[in-house]
Amino acid sequence: MSDRRRINGPVGATIPPVSEDGASREVAGSRGGRSRPPNAIRKMYLKTGVTPSASGSAYLEIETSGRSGVSGLKLSCTVHGPRSLPRSSPFSPHIILSTHVKYAPFATRQRRGYLRDPSERDLGTHLEAALRGAIIADRWPKSGVDIIVSIIEGDQDRETSKTQGDESWDLMNALSGCITVASAALADAGIDCVDTVAGGVAALVSDKGDASPSIVIDPIPSEHDRILAACCIAYLPTRDEVTNLWFKGDLPASDTELYTKLVEKGIQASAKANRVLVECLGETVG
Amino acid sequence: MAAPSLSFSRPVFAKLSPHPYLLRTLAPQPPSDAAASRTNGRAPQEARPVHIHTSSLSHAHGSALVRTGDTTVICGVRGEVLPVANIPQYRPQATQQQQDDGDERADERGGLGRGELKDYDLLVPNIELATGCAPQFLPGVPPTTLAQTLSTRVYSLLHSCRVVDPKSLRIWYTPPTEVGNNMDTEEQQRQQEEADDGDDGPQLVAYWVLYIDLLFVSLDGNPFDAAWAAVMAALRDTKLPAVRWDPDRQAAVLQNNSQPTTTTATAAAAVPGQGKNSIKTTPLPVAGLPVACTAAVFPEKKHGGESMAASAAATVGNRHWILLDPDRSEETLCGETITMVVDCSSGGGGGETRIKSIEKQGGVVLGRELIRGFAGVAEKRWKEVRDAMQ
Repeated sequence: MSDRRRINGPVGATIPPVSEDGASREVAGSRGGRSRPPNAIRKMYLKTGVTPSASGSAYLEIETSGRSGVSGLKLSCTVHGPRSLPRSSPFSPHIILSTHVKYAPFATRQRRGYLRDPSERDLGTHLEAALRGAIIADRWPKSGVDIIVSIIEGDQDRETSKTQGDESWDLMNALSGCITVASAALADAGIDCVDTVAGGVAALVSDKGDASPSIVIDPIPSEHDRILAACCIAYLPTRDEVTNLWFKGDLPASDTELYTKLVEKGIQASAKANRVLVECLGETVG
Repeated sequence: MAAPSLSFSRPVFAKLSPHPYLLRTLAPQPPSDAAASRTNGRAPQEARPVHIHTSSLSHAHGSALVRTGDTTVICGVRGEVLPVANIPQYRPQATQQQQDDGDERADERGGLGRGELKDYDLLVPNIELATGCAPQFLPGVPPTTLAQTLSTRVYSLLHSCRVVDPKSLRIWYTPPTEVGNNMDTEEQQRQQEEADDGDDGPQLVAYWVLYIDLLFVSLDGNPFDAAWAAVMAALRDTKLPAVRWDPDRQAAVLQNNSQPTTTTATAAAAVPGQGKNSIKTTPLPVAGLPVACTAAVFPEKKHGGESMAASAAATVGNRHWILLDPDRSEETLCGETITMVVDCSSGGGGGETRIKSIEKQGGVVLGRELIRGFAGVAEKRWKEVRDAMQ
């Protein structure tokens, strides 16, 4: 049963045009390697107050990499609240966060539907966990706040070639952006936090030609041949506290230190993003 | 001991009792010689300036960001291919010639954009408001009535204005002429049967479907004008990739710029500067430039109850003001709105004004003369939007 509250288009299935020959496209030269040093994040642009009618809002844009056809990340976040909970809801001694992450239909290679899919719900849960640790929740008993992140453009290679299956890594980058932008929007809304929380991603990648896998921060899946593992960290710098840690992938069993190293790099990435965040908020206030 | 005088600052008063406040600013009392203006400082017939950015999204075939005041909307147009085999109600018209004849007949009839575009549902506009763009639009609920209304209005206007020509959405396939005798006759016969009654002319195999998705980032009144401007800007920006129909895969295949027929990736990579954008694209032809112009009517007398100002002043008339491009606070005060869609682009810009649609809701103020006068306002707005698009 199709959704009658939207315009659904033709009954028959539509398919996006396929690219010439999947196989002939994956020439190594066309993929291009990483152009940044392994411990540098991409440039980001952060601005608060894009939605005047909301209590707080922010917009985050992460630059596109040098290659054409690969988009950066564009996120917009609005915060509504704190407001009183509806009468029907049970008593809560602290503020209740509800987070929504939604990809715009035009954000990714494949057109997204309007209903939230499980991966978006998952992102929402992670985002909530990351922010809950930063907000001083017991200052607002019996109240709720809505945090809505719209992913206007996902961080994705436009070509469907070898990058099939990279979507799971894209989620990591999206989550780290969501955390940073939501933190800025919360500060813009004037909701008390113990610190600004920012997201950072580190990944263990293996490139052709390299003998052993290396750790990079802020990875772009299309720039590497293979991502073995990645972790997304939400980190509070002044408290030296990690509020959310999301780890995915396989680590070689030979090196037990690798996990710790990866988390350390993630914290490093997060601290770098935090500097941008603090600077942006400083500009707005001052 | 005098009681402290109770006085509010202007914004507080505007928030506490918006109707009398707006009335007072629109009709200043004799002692003050301030010009009539609205709460937001604009003159009654002054619209907010429009800012338009196009081609900022890389995954969409065409995109636009439109900002008028605090209303911001993003529109992305994406084309997907609908093979005719997937259209249950498809009526084949065998050759290109017949198809074009059919178009001419339809043009002569002057139908309301009927035909393939509507029958096969090739334009799919949708508006998403649930992005927290205003406090009453939060996600997690089905589309609100406003979102549904807006989508439907955009949908019907797209069809009634015939902005997109169905001809430009057709994908043709010319079967190869089998003159070579390498193929054995059996195979050849079978292929002949498969082909449309042995017709060698180009066949219509698929259509482009344009998914037009609109996302409101921020909403401060007048969503329809902004949404429609975004749709038009994005459609004018749309470049559909050149595709070749592959009968084996039953799919449309993107054509590369460098070699139109047999392509290898090395040749594509050899084109410098182009990078992966070597896929050939053609701009979508868009007919005309209809622009929507909305105004709300602000009555002196408050709707429903007796207003304070009305009861106080004996000389209460039925005065009203037409507020162009209302913002959110004005929309809540006004019961009557009018939307006029005009297109002045025919005849090379300075041509005649064509009214594409008029929608009026609520109230009894706007009569024939006022609506006729409003066309002039809409013309002025058309010029503003046209300038912003260039």
